[in-house]
Amino acid sequence: MKFPKKRCVAMLLAGGQGSRLLVLTQNTAKPAVPFGGKYRIIDFPLSNCVNSGIDTVGILTQYQPLELNEYIGNGQPWGLNRSHGGVQVLPPYAQSEKSEWYKGTANAIYQNMAFIERYDPDNVLILSGDHIYRMDYAKMIRYHEEHDSDVTIAVRQVPLEEASRFGIMNTNPDGSIYEFEEKPKVPKSNNASMGIYVFKWSILKKFLTEDENDPGSDNDFGKNVIPAILHAGHKMFAYAFEGYWKDVGTISSLWEANMDLLGTSPEFNLYGDGNAPIFARNYALPASYIDTGSKNTNCLIAEGCEIYGLVKHSVVSTGCRMGRNAVVEDSVIMPNTVIEEGVIVRNAIVGEGCILRRGAVVGGSFQPDEQRQIAVIGKDHVIEVNQVVKPGEVI
Amino acid sequence: MKNVMGLVFANIYDSSLGQLTNKRTQASLPYGGRYRQIDFTLSNLSNAGIRHIDIVTQYNFQSLMNHIGSGEEWDLKLEVGGLEFITPYSMGQSENFRGKLEAIAAASEAYLSRGKEEYIILADAAVICAIDLAEVIEAHIASGKDVTVVVKSGIANGSKQLDLAVRLDQDGEIADMAVDYAAPENYLASMGMFIMRKDLLLRSAAACVSRNRYRFEREFILQDWLDRLISVNAFEFDNVALFNESTEEYFRNNLAIIRRVVRHSLYRDGLTIYTKVRDQIPSYYGEGSQIDDCIVADGCVLLGAASNSVFFRGVKLSNGASVRSCVVMANCEIGIGAQLEYCILDKDVKINAGVKLIGTMEHPVILNRGDVV
Repeated sequence: MKFPKKRCVAMLLAGGQGSRLLVLTQNTAKPAVPFGGKYRIIDFPLSNCVNSGIDTVGILTQYQPLELNEYIGNGQPWGLNRSHGGVQVLPPYAQSEKSEWYKGTANAIYQNMAFIERYDPDNVLILSGDHIYRMDYAKMIRYHEEHDSDVTIAVRQVPLEEASRFGIMNTNPDGSIYEFEEKPKVPKSNNASMGIYVFKWSILKKFLTEDENDPGSDNDFGKNVIPAILHAGHKMFAYAFEGYWKDVGTISSLWEANMDLLGTSPEFNLYGDGNAPIFARNYALPASYIDTGSKNTNCLIAEGCEIYGLVKHSVVSTGCRMGRNAVVEDSVIMPNTVIEEGVIVRNAIVGEGCILRRGAVVGGSFQPDEQRQIAVIGKDHVIEVNQVVKPGEVI
Repeated sequence: MKNVMGLVFANIYDSSLGQLTNKRTQASLPYGGRYRQIDFTLSNLSNAGIRHIDIVTQYNFQSLMNHIGSGEEWDLKLEVGGLEFITPYSMGQSENFRGKLEAIAAASEAYLSRGKEEYIILADAAVICAIDLAEVIEAHIASGKDVTVVVKSGIANGSKQLDLAVRLDQDGEIADMAVDYAAPENYLASMGMFIMRKDLLLRSAAACVSRNRYRFEREFILQDWLDRLISVNAFEFDNVALFNESTEEYFRNNLAIIRRVVRHSLYRDGLTIYTKVRDQIPSYYGEGSQIDDCIVADGCVLLGAASNSVFFRGVKLSNGASVRSCVVMANCEIGIGAQLEYCILDKDVKINAGVKLIGTMEHPVILNRGDVV
């Protein structure tokens, strides 16, 4: 039986080990790392898909897939439980002749070409699972189609002095790309690739197969596939994106992105204009209780919390408990963590399910001119009574 | 508990809740910042492993159906069993059911007798509690009685009218039973939960209705108990149970959730209360906000001051506004410098800047859905 074809299938690369997130990704795939009080990083690209009318998403993962699998489930929280399409987690699997891990981003898609083929799409959207942003992919796909482009790459302007850290797209005045430079020493422009690509499926299929047959290739989109398509003379366009976008692949960027949610007009407004909600798996938790005397200012507190202490300029996630005289400042508290009486947490990220016992001190304060160092506590850790976790320490 | 089904009555005290139930059933009244009253009933049944629940509703049921949907949140979206709505219209009946017995008799053939369950639990959404119904079912079977009624002490006070009240003797046997009675303190109040064999219920309902008896407590439970046609066992529930049968009770019990003992009794491990999920962002507490002793759901933006109040989802509290002892339902907006005390704001109410509204604990100011003041 043949199903109706899809205009676009999204493939979300969630495979990275996320080693720069240290203890936070010890038992958790990077896209499953909690963010913003009640979300996980993957909620952002997934919600973007749904809000852009894309109803078929493959998630490519290979490290610590258990939690991610459980979180995604049947895709119902994102409205992705469809009879045809929907969301599927695609781990590497043993094929008849060989069994192998994903060798690179391109290889991950190559190994799942059969998944894409089932939907016979016009285009394939390739996404990363570690960026926080809100984007209407439908606009980018329309741009791609209007230009009859073979590959369209989303770019954003970065300060020229930082451009050498990114993949830079050098474009003609009409937006077509004539050159791609991966981390150039002397950048010619500041159009940085966001790792978001729209491919014509026919082109992608051809070049993934060729790339796979090239033993010298690293099977990477940025390094191998994109340059190969460009050299073959195919039409490649840059699609300029303006708006908040953050790679949360490091501790400091993860912390910053959380802080960017705060304020009455935050850098990144989770609510947006109300038309493109960020969906998440919601758990059955009561509304939060805020006790007398807790003067919480400039903070986000999610549901299911009991707050007896003071929260300042921080994000406190679902299901946390905080005792009297406890202080949380400039910090991110991930879900279901217990902060007992008198605990002081400053400039820290505290992982899920931790217990900070009475009188513990985590992190410290910094002067404005000092380099901020974020203390990190991994998932399910217990910090003992009066234990001190130094600024920048990682446990 | 594949052997037990649930039957929930959604419209029990609509008339005594005034304007709050103008456009909704009592069952769909908001409670506790993010729930509807029926969430507790459905969750209690679901937590006991009951996977077949019928909901009897007569009017104003659009918001209830919208809330419950397929029953997915309570794990009731199933191939076999699951959730069904029983309305007078689904029975080909043009008039409303006059009482529970009439509804049961009418739904007997098409709905209730179809399932294979041996037992049935009747409940309504008037009493909010977290109860382990598996334990109640076990106690019922162990008692060997025909019917078990779940009762609560400390409710009867000589002035509150009770649907059904019982007095127990030293052995815990029912010594006296009364209906529609402002029973004295030594009586226990029925929580509106009954367990019995389904065939007994259907047989009795048919027999009652054929004699123009339709009031469940008066004309079946009490009458047949007095006539010694049935034996009745009382199961005493020893945790927090909040009776929301009038506007005043509704107001008081909504604020009660702020108290730790009540909160911890209603939200217990293993007795999760499920509700319809909405994607709201975590609540934001602004610089200079002062939120004391409050319940706050997701999606609020709180810039002003509040104490002893319950905020449902998506409430905006402006700078300089002050809210004391209020129940503020979803998506209300409270303007700059507004002062509210002892108010119930139904959904989508907008309070303009500087408005002052002061009620009392006994007579809260009630604003209707969508009101602009």
